[in-house]
Amino acid sequence: MLIENLGGNLMGTIPLGDIVLYLNSLHIFLFVTILVFTALIAISRTETQVEAMFGSLDENKVSVGKKEFKQRRFLAIICGIATAGAMITGDLFNFTLFMALIGIVNIGIVSAVKHVDVLNSAYQYGLIAMMCGLPLFGGAAMILAATGTLSLFELAAIPASPMMIFGALVMLIGVCGESGIAPFFASKAEMFRTPGSPFILIIHLSSLFIIVRFVEILLIIL
Amino acid sequence: MVASIVPQLVPAFYSLMYTTVLYGGLIVAFIGLIGIAMEKRDIQVLILTDIVGLAMLIIVAAVGTDLSEALILPGLVVELAEIMAISEILISHEMRKKDVHTSFTPIPLNIDMEIMTTAPNFIALLLIGYGVFLSGFTGGAVAGGGIVIYVLSRKVRGLPVVVLDGVGAISGISWCLWIIGFLFFFILPQYWLLSLFLAALGLLLKVASKIGLIGIMMREEYGRK
Repeated sequence: MLIENLGGNLMGTIPLGDIVLYLNSLHIFLFVTILVFTALIAISRTETQVEAMFGSLDENKVSVGKKEFKQRRFLAIICGIATAGAMITGDLFNFTLFMALIGIVNIGIVSAVKHVDVLNSAYQYGLIAMMCGLPLFGGAAMILAATGTLSLFELAAIPASPMMIFGALVMLIGVCGESGIAPFFASKAEMFRTPGSPFILIIHLSSLFIIVRFVEILLIIL
Repeated sequence: MVASIVPQLVPAFYSLMYTTVLYGGLIVAFIGLIGIAMEKRDIQVLILTDIVGLAMLIIVAAVGTDLSEALILPGLVVELAEIMAISEILISHEMRKKDVHTSFTPIPLNIDMEIMTTAPNFIALLLIGYGVFLSGFTGGAVAGGGIVIYVLSRKVRGLPVVVLDGVGAISGISWCLWIIGFLFFFILPQYWLLSLFLAALGLLLKVASKIGLIGIMMREEYGRK
Protein backbone atom coordinates (compact mmCIF):
# COMPACT_ATOMS: atom_id res chain seq x y z
CA MET A 1 0.00 0.00 0.00
CA LEU A 2 1.17 3.52 -0.64
CA ILE A 3 2.68 5.42 2.24
CA GLU A 4 0.72 8.51 1.21
CA ASN A 5 -2.56 6.73 1.93
CA LEU A 6 -1.66 5.88 5.52
CA GLY A 7 -1.39 8.16 8.50
CA GLY A 8 -2.12 11.48 6.80
CA ASN A 9 -0.10 13.48 4.30
CA LEU A 10 3.63 13.00 4.00
CA MET A 11 5.39 15.96 5.58
CA GLY A 12 8.86 15.15 4.36
CA THR A 13 11.71 12.70 4.49
CA ILE A 14 14.97 12.75 6.43
CA PRO A 15 17.49 10.81 4.36
CA LEU A 16 20.31 9.54 6.58
CA GLY A 17 22.24 7.60 3.98
CA ASP A 18 20.65 4.18 3.70
CA ILE A 19 18.06 4.92 6.36
CA VAL A 20 15.26 7.19 5.19
CA LEU A 21 13.01 8.54 7.90
CA TYR A 22 9.68 9.91 6.80
CA LEU A 23 7.29 12.04 8.75
CA ASN A 24 3.53 12.10 8.63
CA SER A 25 0.88 13.30 11.01
CA LEU A 26 0.22 9.89 12.61
CA HIS A 27 3.89 9.31 13.41
CA ILE A 28 4.38 12.78 14.82
CA PHE A 29 1.26 12.42 16.97
CA LEU A 30 2.36 9.05 18.36
CA PHE A 31 5.92 10.27 18.86
CA VAL A 32 4.94 13.41 20.74
CA THR A 33 2.36 11.59 22.87
CA ILE A 34 4.80 8.93 24.03
CA LEU A 35 7.45 11.57 24.74
CA VAL A 36 4.99 13.58 26.84
CA PHE A 37 4.16 10.43 28.81
CA THR A 38 7.85 9.67 29.26
CA ALA A 39 8.44 13.20 30.56
CA LEU A 40 5.55 12.80 33.00
CA ILE A 41 6.99 9.51 34.20
CA ALA A 42 10.45 11.03 34.54
CA ILE A 43 9.24 13.72 36.94
CA SER A 44 6.79 11.57 38.91
CA ARG A 45 7.32 9.64 42.12
CA THR A 46 6.16 6.12 42.82
CA GLU A 47 2.88 5.52 44.50
CA THR A 48 2.64 3.67 47.75
CA GLN A 49 0.47 0.67 47.13
CA VAL A 50 -2.23 0.21 49.72
CA GLU A 51 -3.71 -3.24 49.99
CA ALA A 52 -7.00 -3.47 51.83
CA MET A 53 -7.22 -6.45 54.11
CA PHE A 54 -10.16 -8.78 53.94
CA GLY A 55 -12.60 -8.60 56.79
CA SER A 56 -10.98 -5.78 58.73
CA LEU A 57 -10.33 -2.08 58.33
CA ASP A 58 -6.55 -2.47 58.39
CA GLU A 59 -4.40 -1.81 55.40
CA ASN A 60 -1.06 -3.00 54.19
CA LYS A 61 1.26 -0.39 52.67
CA VAL A 62 3.89 -1.42 50.17
CA SER A 63 6.36 1.29 49.18
CA VAL A 64 9.41 1.25 46.96
CA GLY A 65 12.93 1.90 48.21
CA LYS A 66 14.99 4.78 46.82
CA LYS A 67 17.54 2.64 44.99
CA GLU A 68 14.89 0.51 43.38
CA PHE A 69 12.96 3.66 42.50
CA LYS A 70 15.94 5.20 40.69
CA GLN A 71 16.69 2.02 38.76
CA ARG A 72 13.09 1.61 37.73
CA ARG A 73 12.75 5.24 36.68
CA PHE A 74 15.82 4.91 34.48
CA LEU A 75 14.49 1.79 32.79
CA ALA A 76 11.04 3.34 32.35
CA ILE A 77 12.59 6.36 30.60
CA ILE A 78 14.62 4.07 28.34
CA CYS A 79 11.46 2.16 27.53
CA GLY A 80 9.64 5.40 26.69
CA ILE A 81 12.45 6.58 24.43
CA ALA A 82 12.64 3.21 22.68
CA THR A 83 8.89 3.30 22.08
CA ALA A 84 9.16 6.84 20.72
CA GLY A 85 11.93 5.68 18.40
CA ALA A 86 9.80 2.80 17.17
CA MET A 87 7.01 5.27 16.45
CA ILE A 88 9.03 7.58 14.21
CA THR A 89 11.38 5.17 12.47
CA GLY A 90 11.05 4.57 8.76
CA ASP A 91 13.06 1.40 8.77
CA LEU A 92 12.03 -2.12 9.68
CA PHE A 93 15.54 -2.77 10.99
CA ASN A 94 15.31 0.00 13.58
CA PHE A 95 11.80 -1.08 14.52
CA THR A 96 13.04 -4.62 15.22
CA LEU A 97 15.83 -3.35 17.43
CA PHE A 98 13.59 -0.96 19.34
CA MET A 99 11.12 -3.79 19.86
CA ALA A 100 13.83 -6.06 21.28
CA LEU A 101 14.99 -3.23 23.56
CA ILE A 102 11.45 -2.71 24.86
CA GLY A 103 11.25 -6.42 25.61
CA ILE A 104 14.41 -6.40 27.72
CA VAL A 105 13.55 -3.17 29.53
CA ASN A 106 10.10 -4.49 30.44
CA ILE A 107 11.71 -7.44 32.19
CA GLY A 108 14.18 -5.11 33.88
CA ILE A 109 11.47 -2.86 35.31
CA VAL A 110 9.93 -5.67 37.33
CA SER A 111 13.05 -7.72 38.00
CA ALA A 112 13.88 -5.99 41.29
CA VAL A 113 10.49 -6.62 42.85
CA LYS A 114 10.17 -8.52 46.11
CA HIS A 115 6.97 -10.46 45.32
CA VAL A 116 7.45 -14.08 44.34
CA ASP A 117 4.32 -14.05 42.17
CA VAL A 118 5.55 -11.05 40.20
CA LEU A 119 9.01 -12.56 39.80
CA ASN A 120 7.47 -15.78 38.57
CA SER A 121 5.42 -13.91 36.00
CA ALA A 122 8.43 -11.81 34.94
CA TYR A 123 10.33 -15.05 34.45
CA GLN A 124 7.59 -16.50 32.24
CA TYR A 125 7.35 -13.27 30.28
CA GLY A 126 11.12 -13.27 29.83
CA LEU A 127 11.04 -16.78 28.41
CA ILE A 128 8.27 -15.81 25.98
CA ALA A 129 10.15 -12.65 24.98
CA MET A 130 13.27 -14.72 24.33
CA MET A 131 11.45 -17.29 22.26
CA CYS A 132 9.72 -14.54 20.31
CA GLY A 133 13.10 -13.11 19.39
CA LEU A 134 13.07 -15.88 16.78
CA PRO A 135 9.95 -14.77 14.86
CA LEU A 136 10.82 -11.10 15.34
CA PHE A 137 14.33 -11.20 13.88
CA GLY A 138 13.51 -14.16 11.64
CA GLY A 139 10.55 -12.35 10.11
CA ALA A 140 12.66 -9.27 9.45
CA ALA A 141 15.33 -11.50 7.89
CA MET A 142 12.73 -13.21 5.66
CA ILE A 143 11.48 -9.85 4.41
CA LEU A 144 15.10 -8.88 3.80
CA ALA A 145 15.67 -12.11 1.88
CA ALA A 146 12.59 -11.58 -0.26
CA THR A 147 13.16 -7.94 -1.11
CA GLY A 148 16.78 -7.04 -0.39
CA THR A 149 15.83 -4.02 1.69
CA LEU A 150 14.31 -3.17 5.06
CA SER A 151 13.44 0.44 4.32
CA LEU A 152 9.69 0.93 4.62
CA PHE A 153 9.85 3.56 1.90
CA GLU A 154 11.09 0.98 -0.58
CA LEU A 155 9.02 -1.90 0.80
CA ALA A 156 5.90 0.17 0.10
CA ALA A 157 6.79 0.27 -3.60
CA ILE A 158 7.46 -3.47 -3.92
CA PRO A 159 4.34 -5.60 -4.56
CA ALA A 160 3.83 -8.21 -1.86
CA SER A 161 5.11 -11.69 -2.64
CA PRO A 162 4.15 -14.80 -0.59
CA MET A 163 7.57 -14.73 1.09
CA MET A 164 7.04 -11.13 2.21
CA ILE A 165 3.56 -11.90 3.54
CA PHE A 166 4.90 -14.91 5.43
CA GLY A 167 7.76 -12.84 6.84
CA ALA A 168 5.39 -10.09 7.93
CA LEU A 169 3.05 -12.56 9.65
CA VAL A 170 5.96 -14.25 11.41
CA MET A 171 7.09 -10.84 12.54
CA LEU A 172 3.58 -10.11 13.84
CA ILE A 173 3.92 -13.15 16.12
CA GLY A 174 7.28 -11.80 17.27
CA VAL A 175 5.89 -8.35 18.05
CA CYS A 176 2.94 -9.86 19.92
CA GLY A 177 5.27 -11.96 22.05
CA GLU A 178 7.85 -9.28 22.75
CA SER A 179 5.24 -6.73 23.79
CA GLY A 180 3.18 -9.40 25.54
CA ILE A 181 -0.24 -8.77 23.97
CA ALA A 182 -3.17 -11.09 23.30
CA PRO A 183 -2.06 -14.71 23.02
CA PHE A 184 0.92 -14.18 25.28
CA PHE A 185 -0.55 -11.77 27.79
CA ALA A 186 -1.04 -14.37 30.53
CA SER A 187 2.68 -14.36 31.16
CA LYS A 188 2.62 -10.63 31.71
CA ALA A 189 -0.64 -9.98 33.56
CA GLU A 190 0.68 -10.65 37.05
CA MET A 191 3.50 -8.14 36.52
CA PHE A 192 1.05 -5.28 37.00
CA ARG A 193 0.54 -6.17 40.63
CA THR A 194 3.95 -4.67 41.35
CA PRO A 195 4.02 -1.58 43.55
CA GLY A 196 5.43 1.55 41.92
CA SER A 197 2.67 2.47 39.54
CA PRO A 198 3.84 5.09 37.02
CA PHE A 199 6.80 3.01 35.96
CA ILE A 200 4.72 -0.10 35.52
CA LEU A 201 2.33 1.83 33.27
CA ILE A 202 4.98 2.33 30.60
CA ILE A 203 5.01 -1.44 30.01
CA HIS A 204 1.37 -1.34 29.05
CA LEU A 205 1.58 1.93 27.18
CA SER A 206 4.50 0.84 25.05
CA SER A 207 2.73 -2.37 23.99
CA LEU A 208 -0.38 -0.39 23.01
CA PHE A 209 1.62 2.06 20.91
CA ILE A 210 3.71 -0.68 19.34
CA ILE A 211 0.67 -2.61 18.13
CA VAL A 212 -0.80 0.52 16.50
CA ARG A 213 2.49 1.23 14.76
CA PHE A 214 2.96 -2.38 13.70
CA VAL A 215 -0.48 -2.52 12.09
CA GLU A 216 0.63 0.43 9.99
CA ILE A 217 3.87 -1.33 9.06
CA LEU A 218 1.93 -4.47 8.19
CA LEU A 219 -0.30 -2.46 5.87
CA ILE A 220 2.73 -0.87 4.22
CA ILE A 221 4.37 -4.24 3.62
CA LEU A 222 1.29 -6.13 2.42
CA MET B 1 15.45 -15.98 -1.79
CA VAL B 2 14.20 -14.27 -4.94
CA ALA B 3 16.63 -14.91 -7.77
CA SER B 4 16.30 -11.47 -9.35
CA ILE B 5 17.71 -9.59 -6.33
CA VAL B 6 20.73 -11.85 -5.88
CA PRO B 7 23.78 -10.38 -7.64
CA GLN B 8 25.27 -12.33 -10.53
CA LEU B 9 28.62 -12.87 -8.83
CA VAL B 10 27.06 -14.99 -6.07
CA PRO B 11 27.35 -18.70 -7.02
CA ALA B 12 23.99 -20.36 -7.55
CA PHE B 13 24.86 -22.97 -4.92
CA TYR B 14 24.84 -20.36 -2.15
CA SER B 15 21.58 -18.74 -3.13
CA LEU B 16 19.95 -22.17 -3.34
CA MET B 17 21.16 -22.94 0.18
CA TYR B 18 18.86 -20.29 1.64
CA THR B 19 15.70 -22.41 1.75
CA THR B 20 17.57 -25.36 3.22
CA VAL B 21 19.09 -23.24 5.97
CA LEU B 22 15.75 -21.59 6.69
CA TYR B 23 14.09 -24.97 7.17
CA GLY B 24 17.08 -26.11 9.22
CA GLY B 25 16.69 -23.13 11.55
CA LEU B 26 12.97 -23.72 11.92
CA ILE B 27 13.55 -27.40 12.73
CA VAL B 28 16.14 -26.47 15.37
CA ALA B 29 13.68 -24.00 16.89
CA PHE B 30 10.96 -26.64 16.86
CA ILE B 31 13.19 -29.13 18.65
CA GLY B 32 13.96 -26.47 21.26
CA LEU B 33 10.25 -25.72 21.73
CA ILE B 34 9.44 -29.42 22.16
CA GLY B 35 12.12 -29.55 24.83
CA ILE B 36 10.63 -26.54 26.60
CA ALA B 37 7.16 -28.07 26.48
CA MET B 38 8.38 -31.32 28.07
CA GLU B 39 10.72 -29.88 30.69
CA LYS B 40 9.40 -28.83 34.08
CA ARG B 41 12.45 -27.49 35.93
CA ASP B 42 12.89 -23.72 35.54
CA ILE B 43 16.62 -23.72 34.98
CA GLN B 44 16.39 -26.36 32.23
CA VAL B 45 13.66 -24.38 30.48
CA LEU B 46 15.92 -21.34 30.52
CA ILE B 47 18.78 -23.27 28.97
CA LEU B 48 16.51 -24.79 26.33
CA THR B 49 15.19 -21.33 25.46
CA ASP B 50 18.68 -20.48 24.33
CA ILE B 51 18.34 -23.11 21.58
CA VAL B 52 15.44 -21.12 20.14
CA GLY B 53 17.66 -18.03 20.27
CA LEU B 54 20.38 -19.89 18.35
CA ALA B 55 17.81 -20.92 15.74
CA MET B 56 17.01 -17.23 15.33
CA LEU B 57 20.69 -16.59 14.57
CA ILE B 58 20.65 -19.38 11.96
CA ILE B 59 17.59 -17.94 10.21
CA VAL B 60 19.03 -14.43 10.14
CA ALA B 61 22.46 -15.65 9.08
CA ALA B 62 20.93 -17.59 6.19
CA VAL B 63 20.35 -14.32 4.31
CA GLY B 64 24.06 -13.60 4.36
CA THR B 65 24.18 -9.92 3.41
CA ASP B 66 25.71 -7.07 5.38
CA LEU B 67 22.25 -5.97 6.55
CA SER B 68 21.59 -9.43 7.96
CA GLU B 69 24.93 -9.30 9.73
CA ALA B 70 23.78 -6.01 11.19
CA LEU B 71 20.70 -7.88 12.44
CA ILE B 72 22.73 -10.75 13.89
CA LEU B 73 24.81 -8.57 16.20
CA PRO B 74 21.91 -6.97 18.09
CA GLY B 75 20.10 -10.29 17.99
CA LEU B 76 22.98 -11.99 19.75
CA VAL B 77 23.29 -9.12 22.25
CA VAL B 78 19.57 -9.19 22.94
CA GLU B 79 19.65 -12.94 23.55
CA LEU B 80 22.58 -12.61 25.92
CA ALA B 81 21.02 -9.69 27.76
CA GLU B 82 17.71 -11.49 28.10
CA ILE B 83 19.24 -14.72 29.33
CA MET B 84 21.20 -12.74 31.93
CA ALA B 85 18.16 -10.78 33.02
CA ILE B 86 16.00 -13.90 33.27
CA SER B 87 18.61 -15.85 35.21
CA GLU B 88 18.87 -12.88 37.57
CA ILE B 89 15.12 -13.02 38.05
CA LEU B 90 15.30 -16.77 38.63
CA ILE B 91 17.98 -16.32 41.30
CA SER B 92 16.10 -13.64 43.18
CA HIS B 93 12.89 -15.67 42.82
CA GLU B 94 14.49 -18.73 44.39
CA MET B 95 15.98 -16.61 47.17
CA ARG B 96 12.60 -15.10 47.99
CA LYS B 97 11.09 -18.56 48.07
CA LYS B 98 13.54 -19.78 50.72
CA ASP B 99 12.48 -17.47 53.55
CA VAL B 100 8.73 -17.89 53.53
CA HIS B 101 6.84 -15.16 55.33
CA THR B 102 3.63 -13.49 54.28
CA SER B 103 2.44 -10.36 56.03
CA PHE B 104 -0.82 -10.62 54.14
CA THR B 105 -2.98 -12.80 56.39
CA PRO B 106 -6.68 -12.37 55.71
CA ILE B 107 -9.31 -13.42 58.21
CA PRO B 108 -12.45 -15.11 56.88
CA LEU B 109 -15.06 -12.76 55.59
CA ASN B 110 -18.40 -12.40 57.31
CA ILE B 111 -21.11 -10.71 55.30
CA ASP B 112 -24.57 -11.01 56.79
CA MET B 113 -26.59 -8.70 54.61
CA GLU B 114 -30.20 -9.29 53.72
CA ILE B 115 -29.50 -8.79 50.02
CA MET B 116 -27.35 -11.90 50.02
CA THR B 117 -30.18 -14.19 51.07
CA THR B 118 -33.34 -12.70 49.56
CA ALA B 119 -32.96 -12.57 45.78
CA PRO B 120 -29.30 -12.65 44.85
CA ASN B 121 -29.76 -14.88 41.81
CA PHE B 122 -32.31 -12.52 40.29
CA ILE B 123 -30.06 -9.51 40.86
CA ALA B 124 -27.08 -11.35 39.41
CA LEU B 125 -29.09 -12.41 36.37
CA LEU B 126 -30.34 -8.85 35.89
CA LEU B 127 -26.82 -7.46 36.11
CA ILE B 128 -25.41 -10.02 33.67
CA GLY B 129 -28.28 -9.45 31.24
CA TYR B 130 -27.88 -5.70 31.40
CA GLY B 131 -24.10 -6.10 30.99
CA VAL B 132 -24.52 -8.19 27.85
CA PHE B 133 -26.95 -5.59 26.52
CA LEU B 134 -24.46 -2.78 27.16
CA SER B 135 -21.45 -4.74 25.78
CA GLY B 136 -17.96 -3.30 25.69
CA PHE B 137 -16.01 -2.22 28.76
CA THR B 138 -18.96 -0.95 30.84
CA GLY B 139 -20.99 -4.05 30.07
CA GLY B 140 -18.10 -6.24 31.14
CA ALA B 141 -17.85 -4.42 34.45
CA VAL B 142 -21.60 -4.74 35.11
CA ALA B 143 -21.73 -8.43 34.14
CA GLY B 144 -18.63 -9.12 36.23
CA GLY B 145 -20.34 -7.45 39.19
CA GLY B 146 -23.24 -9.82 38.65
CA ILE B 147 -20.90 -12.83 38.75
CA VAL B 148 -19.29 -11.57 41.96
CA ILE B 149 -22.68 -11.12 43.64
CA TYR B 150 -23.68 -14.65 42.61
CA VAL B 151 -20.47 -16.16 43.98
CA LEU B 152 -20.67 -14.14 47.22
CA SER B 153 -24.29 -15.05 47.81
CA ARG B 154 -23.60 -18.75 47.41
CA LYS B 155 -20.69 -18.41 49.79
CA VAL B 156 -22.82 -16.60 52.39
CA ARG B 157 -25.65 -19.15 52.17
CA GLY B 158 -23.15 -21.92 52.65
CA LEU B 159 -23.73 -23.50 49.25
CA PRO B 160 -20.81 -24.95 47.31
CA VAL B 161 -19.27 -22.46 44.90
CA VAL B 162 -18.76 -23.83 41.43
CA VAL B 163 -15.13 -23.11 40.72
CA LEU B 164 -14.49 -22.21 37.12
CA ASP B 165 -10.81 -22.72 36.63
CA GLY B 166 -11.12 -21.87 32.95
CA VAL B 167 -12.14 -18.27 33.62
CA GLY B 168 -8.61 -17.07 32.94
CA ALA B 169 -8.66 -18.86 29.61
CA ILE B 170 -11.93 -17.17 28.65
CA SER B 171 -10.33 -13.85 29.42
CA GLY B 172 -7.38 -14.68 27.19
CA ILE B 173 -9.44 -15.93 24.26
CA SER B 174 -11.72 -12.92 24.42
CA TRP B 175 -8.73 -10.63 24.37
CA CYS B 176 -7.69 -12.42 21.17
CA LEU B 177 -11.16 -11.63 19.78
CA TRP B 178 -10.61 -8.02 20.65
CA ILE B 179 -7.22 -7.90 18.94
CA ILE B 180 -8.61 -9.65 15.84
CA GLY B 181 -11.44 -7.12 15.70
CA PHE B 182 -8.90 -4.33 16.02
CA LEU B 183 -6.79 -5.71 13.15
CA PHE B 184 -9.89 -6.21 10.97
CA PHE B 185 -10.79 -2.57 11.47
CA PHE B 186 -7.64 -1.54 9.68
CA ILE B 187 -7.19 -4.36 7.19
CA LEU B 188 -10.76 -5.06 6.10
CA PRO B 189 -12.69 -1.84 6.76
CA GLN B 190 -15.72 -3.09 4.82
CA TYR B 191 -16.40 -5.57 7.66
CA TRP B 192 -16.49 -2.80 10.26
CA LEU B 193 -19.68 -4.07 11.86
CA LEU B 194 -18.21 -7.54 12.39
CA SER B 195 -15.02 -6.12 13.85
CA LEU B 196 -17.00 -3.75 16.07
CA PHE B 197 -18.97 -6.66 17.50
CA LEU B 198 -15.84 -8.80 17.85
CA ALA B 199 -14.19 -6.00 19.80
CA ALA B 200 -17.26 -5.24 21.92
CA LEU B 201 -18.00 -8.87 22.81
CA GLY B 202 -14.34 -9.65 23.38
CA LEU B 203 -14.04 -6.73 25.77
CA LEU B 204 -17.30 -7.70 27.51
CA LEU B 205 -16.10 -11.26 28.13
CA LYS B 206 -12.66 -10.10 29.12
CA VAL B 207 -13.74 -7.55 31.70
CA ALA B 208 -16.49 -9.81 33.04
CA SER B 209 -14.12 -12.71 33.51
CA LYS B 210 -11.48 -10.40 35.01
CA ILE B 211 -13.92 -9.37 37.72
CA GLY B 212 -14.93 -13.00 38.06
CA LEU B 213 -11.28 -13.72 38.72
CA ILE B 214 -11.44 -11.57 41.85
CA GLY B 215 -13.63 -14.30 43.27
CA ILE B 216 -10.99 -16.91 42.55
CA MET B 217 -8.29 -14.72 44.08
CA MET B 218 -10.38 -14.35 47.23
CA ARG B 219 -10.63 -18.11 47.41
CA GLU B 220 -6.85 -18.31 47.22
CA GLU B 221 -6.54 -15.80 50.05
CA TYR B 222 -8.86 -17.95 52.17
CA GLY B 223 -6.75 -20.97 51.42
CA ARG B 224 -3.66 -19.19 52.62
CA LYS B 225 -5.06 -18.23 56.08
